[in-house]
Amino acid sequence: MIRLQHVSKVFGAGPSRVAALSGISFSIAKGEFVVLTGASGAGKTTLLRMLYGAESPSEGDIEVAGFDVSELRRSEIPRLRRSIGIVFQDAKLLAGRTVFENVAFVLRVLGTARRDITPRTFAALKAVGLSARAQAYPHQLSQGEAQRASLARAIVKSPGLLLADEPTGNLDEEMAGEILGLVKDIWSRGTTVLFATHQARLVPQLKRRTLRLEGGRLVKDEG
Amino acid sequence: MFSFIFNEAMRDLRRAGRVGVSAILLIALSLTALGGFWLLSLNLGRAIDQWGDRVRVIVFLKDEPPAAKLDELMQKIEAVGGIQRLHYVSKADALRLLKRSLGSQADVAEQLPRNPLPASVEVTPDAAIATPEGTRALVARLVALPEVEEVQGGSQWVDGLEQFRRLFQGVGLVVGAVLALAAILTVTTATTLVLHLRRDEMEIMRLVGATESVIRWPRLLQGMAQGLVAAIVALATLEIAYALAVPRLEPLLPVTIGLERVLFLSPWQALALIGAGTMLGAVGGLLARGRVHA
Repeated sequence: MIRLQHVSKVFGAGPSRVAALSGISFSIAKGEFVVLTGASGAGKTTLLRMLYGAESPSEGDIEVAGFDVSELRRSEIPRLRRSIGIVFQDAKLLAGRTVFENVAFVLRVLGTARRDITPRTFAALKAVGLSARAQAYPHQLSQGEAQRASLARAIVKSPGLLLADEPTGNLDEEMAGEILGLVKDIWSRGTTVLFATHQARLVPQLKRRTLRLEGGRLVKDEG
Repeated sequence: MFSFIFNEAMRDLRRAGRVGVSAILLIALSLTALGGFWLLSLNLGRAIDQWGDRVRVIVFLKDEPPAAKLDELMQKIEAVGGIQRLHYVSKADALRLLKRSLGSQADVAEQLPRNPLPASVEVTPDAAIATPEGTRALVARLVALPEVEEVQGGSQWVDGLEQFRRLFQGVGLVVGAVLALAAILTVTTATTLVLHLRRDEMEIMRLVGATESVIRWPRLLQGMAQGLVAAIVALATLEIAYALAVPRLEPLLPVTIGLERVLFLSPWQALALIGAGTMLGAVGGLLARGRVHA
């Protein structure tokens, strides 16, 4: 599902040159659940951004869901992203729309048949336990509920890969546990998951293969 | 997908608020100015065409030709080309016409020791050359004939009216262009403002895999909708101005520029104005910048 070979990413040039990632190589098979860990600034977000085509590597090859991301043309990025669900630390819900509208927005943007939008949206909301809050607006949600809505939005298009960039970073332990449980449920239904977190205490709970980044280098790949 | 794009465009239009309304008003103003100049120019053009049909050239002769030579002279004049009709007016006919026009004062003409009026030929140019340029060329050819003393008439008045129409069209185009530019900039500002407001949505759209066309179409449609509404406002304004002004102007027209009626824009011209408004809005929408990188 994901394959990186000797990937490096450098920002800037000359004295302001910063090497965000150096010589990263790993593979993630279809259906795997992998934890990407490391301190803030270790390069987790940069790595994830390269996986969904928001950044291109300075060196090396990246393949995601059958797309050669390192050679991807700008016009092909939407096709790559349709096969990926993404959640962030900030839920990024649209303020003027209800939870239902936020989730349905994805299907409408992608041109899903009108008759399919409502059942698929409710199915995604049910999967994250948020059906009862479908008509609530983002400001009426708790942080945990907002993140669950964000998860529903990521999975409503049935992606083969879920990239989670610190989705529990803003949550207390109980809420973080809930989100982790939901991500595991999503994975158990066949979605490949790459879960980035700097919260070291979560890693043992997950009991999954772990990639550890330090200063832009992959220092551990175990589990 | 179209309903999504259309709904997003209408949502954006509502979000644009006052700036959006300003853009509509500015486009409407520029189209009203353009349409107003167009309307007046069209009617001036009709007046010019009518006056073109009435152009007469009077060829004054040095000497009255003897009856035997008259046909030869008339053929010679006709041979210069571009002439539809000729009418010879002898010295005696000219005096008779003078007396008729003097009416009760005709006695004055009786006191003349001899007839001072020259013989002349009234020339009606061909419709094809009854333009200021065509008539000028005809006059030049007639003056060159040795039998001709002077040529009068022609299209000086029509020429002036034509020049006025060209000036009018020029002013109309300049004013319209300046207002159109202002309108485009306002639509661009309104659309940019909306793009700023919806940058979160655009970010989500890009993240979930929306194509650039899906992201851009609402922007284009928003501008087009503003232009369309503005064009309808402009047409309504012109129609109201026409309905108010025409009853006051029409009695004066036959005695000034010779028109019986003032015409409004034809349905095709009105459609062209609506098309121009929609285009203005579309250009403004397309020029808007507000790219969100994701």
